[in-house]
Amino acid sequence: MSSEAAAAASQPRSGYKPSQAEIVLGVTLVLFVIMSVALPGFITLGNLFTLARNISILGILALGMAVVVIGRGIDLSQIATLGCSAAIAMTMINAGWPVPVALGFGMLLSILMGLANGYLVSVVEIPPLFTTLASGLLIVGVTRALVVPAYQVFLEPGHTNILALGGTIAGGLPAPVIAFAICALLLHLFLSRTVIGRFIYAHGDNALAARLSGIATRPLTMIEYALCSAIGYVGGIIMVGSTSLMHLQIVDSTLIFDVILVVVLGGVSLVGGRGNVLSVIAGTLLIGLLLNAMTIMNLDIQTQDMIKGLVLLLAITIDSIIHPRDEETAKQGD
Amino acid sequence: MNHQPADPVLRIVAGSKIYGGIHAIDSVDFDLLPGEIHAVLGENGAGKSTMCKAISGAILLSSGDYFLGGRKVSFASPGEALKSGVAMVYQETSLVPSMTVAQNLELGMEKLFTVYRKINIAAQQSQQALNFNVEPLALVETLGTAKRQMVEIARAVRHKARVIIFDEPTASLTPEEIQHLFHLLRSLRAQGVGIIFISHAIEEALNIADRITVLRDGKLVHTGPAAELDRPAVVRMMVGRDVATSHYGEVETDGASEDVVAPKKDRRRVLAVENVTMGSVVKNMSFSVYEGEVVGVAGLVGSGRTEIAHIICGARKRNFLRGGLIYLNGKPIRYRVPRQAVRDGIVYITEDRKLDGFFETMTADDNIYLGYLASPKGKRALFSARQRKVVSDRWVKALSISALKRSLKIIEYSGGNQQKVVVAKSLAQDPSVVIFDEPTRGVDVGAIPQIHAAIRSLAAQGKAVIVISSYLPEILAISDRILVARGGRIAEEMSAAQATEEKIMYAAIH
Repeated sequence: MSSEAAAAASQPRSGYKPSQAEIVLGVTLVLFVIMSVALPGFITLGNLFTLARNISILGILALGMAVVVIGRGIDLSQIATLGCSAAIAMTMINAGWPVPVALGFGMLLSILMGLANGYLVSVVEIPPLFTTLASGLLIVGVTRALVVPAYQVFLEPGHTNILALGGTIAGGLPAPVIAFAICALLLHLFLSRTVIGRFIYAHGDNALAARLSGIATRPLTMIEYALCSAIGYVGGIIMVGSTSLMHLQIVDSTLIFDVILVVVLGGVSLVGGRGNVLSVIAGTLLIGLLLNAMTIMNLDIQTQDMIKGLVLLLAITIDSIIHPRDEETAKQGD
Repeated sequence: MNHQPADPVLRIVAGSKIYGGIHAIDSVDFDLLPGEIHAVLGENGAGKSTMCKAISGAILLSSGDYFLGGRKVSFASPGEALKSGVAMVYQETSLVPSMTVAQNLELGMEKLFTVYRKINIAAQQSQQALNFNVEPLALVETLGTAKRQMVEIARAVRHKARVIIFDEPTASLTPEEIQHLFHLLRSLRAQGVGIIFISHAIEEALNIADRITVLRDGKLVHTGPAAELDRPAVVRMMVGRDVATSHYGEVETDGASEDVVAPKKDRRRVLAVENVTMGSVVKNMSFSVYEGEVVGVAGLVGSGRTEIAHIICGARKRNFLRGGLIYLNGKPIRYRVPRQAVRDGIVYITEDRKLDGFFETMTADDNIYLGYLASPKGKRALFSARQRKVVSDRWVKALSISALKRSLKIIEYSGGNQQKVVVAKSLAQDPSVVIFDEPTRGVDVGAIPQIHAAIRSLAAQGKAVIVISSYLPEILAISDRILVARGGRIAEEMSAAQATEEKIMYAAIH
């Protein structure tokens, strides 16, 4: 209102500015402490392991999504892709194919679907929102018509290797957590240490400038979407390991919304070029914590949705206050 | 409050605006009399846009007072300012392209029900009052820049503006249109409207303004009658040192004259464009570029000069090439994406660095290194911080990029440094043909000679250089040979020695 208040607000910000990921981690910590005190049964080892197991799969999917979002895209077909390729792989295993061949074939399928998405987005130039909305529908339709007529595929008993992926290792630590950690580390190295990783940031930051600089943006887009589906597929296999079934109903669930919520909440901005693996971890922890708390408190789905929506709005609001985009450009005076 | 002879219609007293601890403007006193044209000059980042945004209500002053007609005001939005009679005519026009002229004039003051016949008549009347010639029923998207600007001005007048701010109004107008605009400004002045005129073109300001205010680094340097000033004095005040008087024209050429030798007969032809036609913008364009020379391309906006550069380097997304050939070192080329051009050593340095020049979330070092990595010789798998330092150090030094804080994101740099980084990003790709499009647009006066020196030194190294520019003194200062584009073809070619501004302008228009 008054100009003095505006001056006071803009004055002290000269030194350290926390990133969105750090803020989210802080909020998570505070929430964790509150819940430990307030919720009975929250701070038990069993519950924490359940929590970790549940968020790991979400986290893995979010890692894949983050690659596309950093490249200024979005992949709404991620769940459909992983559901279908995992279901096809399971069907092959049940039909007696060797497990590595079946899993490899599933991986190949998911990569191909990612490449197709990338091709449509970059070469045919359809906006990613529509491309992946349509391709997700198409993938599920084709899969159900040809391979998985029922909504679900049960893994036949006896495949302990796959089930181990969803089990626990020594000390009761859930294996999905290890998988999440490995995926996060690998993706972090890829994004920060390889040239392609840096190109993905450049592409998301300013696609036109990337193109004009001589970066091959079309193959790059295909790599982004292929990575998203491939990482998603890893999450899908671990899902099968945990539940020994792949239920295509997840395509119609709000899972894709949760994945995007995690990505955006941590600070991987939809504007592109911003955020990193730490952002995804921060977002995963916060959302995992919230979901777990809401389950313990036995809230109904509507209330859960309301809380999730509010959290997302809050995160975006805080982000735009900390990183005011207009002020930054205004500073240049042109 | 005010008991001066002529009460100013607008006054800013000790106005400051602070962004993140830095003063964008610092206790600036400014006043505008009714019936006065007041030019505000300054380098990019000097604070003139910030001041005008504060006046037009787009931002709030951090401290200081703002009086309008003697009454203290504080506008929360441009809409409020407009209601009080302060209008801004923007650089990029803020009209709605898909609506008619009349609808645009009415924008923001519609009644609950719009009677089209009435607003069309009103539009006709307001146009006639201003001696305009724009069809009220025409869609704005069909109009040229000059006519759009007229509509904007008409809108400001229709809102009964007492103060109109013009932000770079002449940037994309032809000389005739500029004359028309000036005529209009004078007639608005006669009606008692206070006009603030922001421009980079010092001559225009000297020509039209009654008073001139010069800002530098957010501080007010000078306010006074335009009649008491001349170009060198203004430049000196804008830059704060004397060097910049030597940055255009005669003095510059004698600095570079060692390498501007008579055209060598044995020079190799690097790039040849033959009868290239694309859409309605480029028609039968032909020209050649030889190694070791700077070819200046002049011409109005829409003459096909930027489009031909886009065709050469493959930047066009949908390439409706209708014929013609381009040869690089005698081999025909046709690129569909810029990557192929970069591979063959042709780089294009954009006219709009924010749109497709730099990566705003990254540092200058990252920007330069990414350019290197995208070039064929920079092909590698892993990102190397050590190599990044080597590559960027080299170019920071070569182009004297002031990188005191190398950790800053490029968006926080000044316009001149941003432009240098964009140039460095392309030069790090070791090209043999370099196309500059408006190399010094939005660049601080102090950085212009450095960019010009870099362009000259490229030619001295034997590279073929094309410089597209709307600013004739720049073309004259750095080119060995000058091409003038008009209506999609090269209308005239002249050597730098023969060329004058008048000759070029004549060829560009007629």
